[in-house]
Amino acid sequence: MSTSTPAPTPAWRIVAEREIRTKLRARSFQFGLAGMAVAIIAVIVLFSVLGGRPSEDTVAVIDSPGVSAVEAASVAADNAQEGSVVTAKRYESVKTAEQAVRDGDVDAALLPAGSAGYEIIGENSVGSSLAQHLSAATATAVLVANADSQGVDLNDLRAGTQVGERLLDPDAANADQRRAAGFVFVILFYITAITFGMTIAQSVVQEKESRVVEILAAAISVRALLWGKVVGTSLLALGQVAALVAVGVIGLAASGMTELLSLVAPAAGWGVVFFALGFVALAGMWAVAGSLASRTEDLQSTTMPGQVLLFVPYLLAVTGGEAVKTVVSMVPIGSAMMMPVRLAEGSVPAWQLAVAVVGNLIAIVVLVRIAAHIYERTLMRTERKISYKEAFTLAD
Amino acid sequence: MCWPPTLPSVDDMLEIRNLSRRFGDVHAVDDVSFTVTPGRKTGFVGGNGAGKTTTMRMILGVLAPSGGDVLWNDEPITVEQRRRIGYMPEERGLYPRMKILEQLVFLGRLYGLTESQAKSRAIDLLEHFDLGGRRADVLDQLSLGNQQRVQIAAALIHRPDALVLDEPFSGLDPIAVDQMVSLLAAEAGDVPLLFSSHQLDLVERLCDDLVILSGGRIVASGSVEELRGTGAERVRVTLDGSDAAWLRDLRGIRVLDVDGPTALVELDGTVASDLLTTVVERSKVTEFAAVHQPLSEIYREAIR
Repeated sequence: MSTSTPAPTPAWRIVAEREIRTKLRARSFQFGLAGMAVAIIAVIVLFSVLGGRPSEDTVAVIDSPGVSAVEAASVAADNAQEGSVVTAKRYESVKTAEQAVRDGDVDAALLPAGSAGYEIIGENSVGSSLAQHLSAATATAVLVANADSQGVDLNDLRAGTQVGERLLDPDAANADQRRAAGFVFVILFYITAITFGMTIAQSVVQEKESRVVEILAAAISVRALLWGKVVGTSLLALGQVAALVAVGVIGLAASGMTELLSLVAPAAGWGVVFFALGFVALAGMWAVAGSLASRTEDLQSTTMPGQVLLFVPYLLAVTGGEAVKTVVSMVPIGSAMMMPVRLAEGSVPAWQLAVAVVGNLIAIVVLVRIAAHIYERTLMRTERKISYKEAFTLAD
Repeated sequence: MCWPPTLPSVDDMLEIRNLSRRFGDVHAVDDVSFTVTPGRKTGFVGGNGAGKTTTMRMILGVLAPSGGDVLWNDEPITVEQRRRIGYMPEERGLYPRMKILEQLVFLGRLYGLTESQAKSRAIDLLEHFDLGGRRADVLDQLSLGNQQRVQIAAALIHRPDALVLDEPFSGLDPIAVDQMVSLLAAEAGDVPLLFSSHQLDLVERLCDDLVILSGGRIVASGSVEELRGTGAERVRVTLDGSDAAWLRDLRGIRVLDVDGPTALVELDGTVASDLLTTVVERSKVTEFAAVHQPLSEIYREAIR
């Protein structure tokens, strides 16, 4: 009687769907995700405030040297901070120019001050970078005029005074911001990995605690149950990381920090890949942590190995030296946090990336197998907590 | 596997053969064999630790046996056939924070139903238990009796070919018991049904067959009539006003109890009709009735 009815959905997919649906509805998940997105936006705002943003200033002038000085200042301002503009606005007299400053029509005024030269007039303050550019430009303009009237060739005077700049390590540009971006990655990955790792462990132990596992084990294979949890939660964790990385990328683009964005974008892309690999490698361990426990309180001790495996690379990423970071960035699981940091801070040789990826793939196969084995043998033992040592020696 | 499954044929039989389970040195279940016949309710009776739950878990494949087999129609049961058994575990288990309709649909899909099949079936079952209006409530919000109803609905969600229910009536009031019995009759009247219980009066009222377990071994099994048949026939005699104590002098019977005009006697060499003739000759009789040996007595004798 197996007529044209559609093939039933595989059990692991039904389990995965339930995991995802339950988590998406949980307040803790919604607030956690929103909180982390806000934190990332806050970091970007902080970056852009510290890094400066393009300014637009208008300066009142009453004579043509003033106009050309403001034009020169505009060029200097644009060099210092891309997109900055200083515009001259011509007034009839000192009096009307000062009135314009008072009324707030202009940001400052550049007015002749007798034999002393020029003075910059503000209402109660003048922006320091505007003042700097204006005075430098005015001084140069007057110097050129003076040299002209005295018949001196200014270029002769300037010969040999140019000081250039050459960077030996162009990667190190924006070093502070890149280090900060790497740090944000580490925290983001660490928190997400711990949160969703605990989600797997809790989900397993709650099924033991509520005894629904008895019905589940009668209805489907224990292995399908494990796969469903691992797949469902990994997708959620990956989705959260991808969403937060997207928030970061959009935030950087929107705040005009395109230079920093182009530097950290490859790190962000690889970061999501390494997070996926590292998380799946550990996912089975978290499920075991749940199946060893008999009550939620037992998770404190049974999740310890998983927590340590994440905390050590986290600690090293924050405190470790160059050599330590290079090694850890190729170790499975550790690479999930360390590789994105190194990629954010500078370029990484391709072979090291390859070692890290292959190492993680091997770790996934080995760890998930061991985990599935222990999970199957311990899941139905609901009466008490089981130690890792016992779990390895247990008979079926 | 396919859906809908083929309807169970009349001879779909669940057989337990030489099933054993050791935990360390303890023989929790020791060489247990019995058959659960379709259309007959089999009561599984025994004290705490007698091995009922362990046996049921082995039938479902949740626990691996140390020895012996579970057979379905004389063949070792397959994974797919095991999934066709509806199961109610001793320690009730559903997701406490999940809406009841959602959990039933979830379990139904795990048993191989499509989402829409599972949903319409779940709604039907909830309606039957007067829980239609509570379907969006989470399990925790329901009374214990209602949680039990949802639990039985979970066992019936996939129209199972057999039912294994561990203490299905514990904690239910008499009306809820009747409701559940009628639902079981309607939903699973023609499939093998095995259920365990401490409530012997309930087992007596509901069961066709009985398996009595003690210390992991079967001490008695068979139809209720057969088990009763091993004891002597009993009669209750009530005389019209006069004291029944003189019945003690009659031959061929043993008087078990006398309470004023009423006596409970066990036939021991004579037949009921001869006894009635003898009594009527000497006194007016207002009641003369055959009395079944109560199950509790059969049980006590069996485990002695």
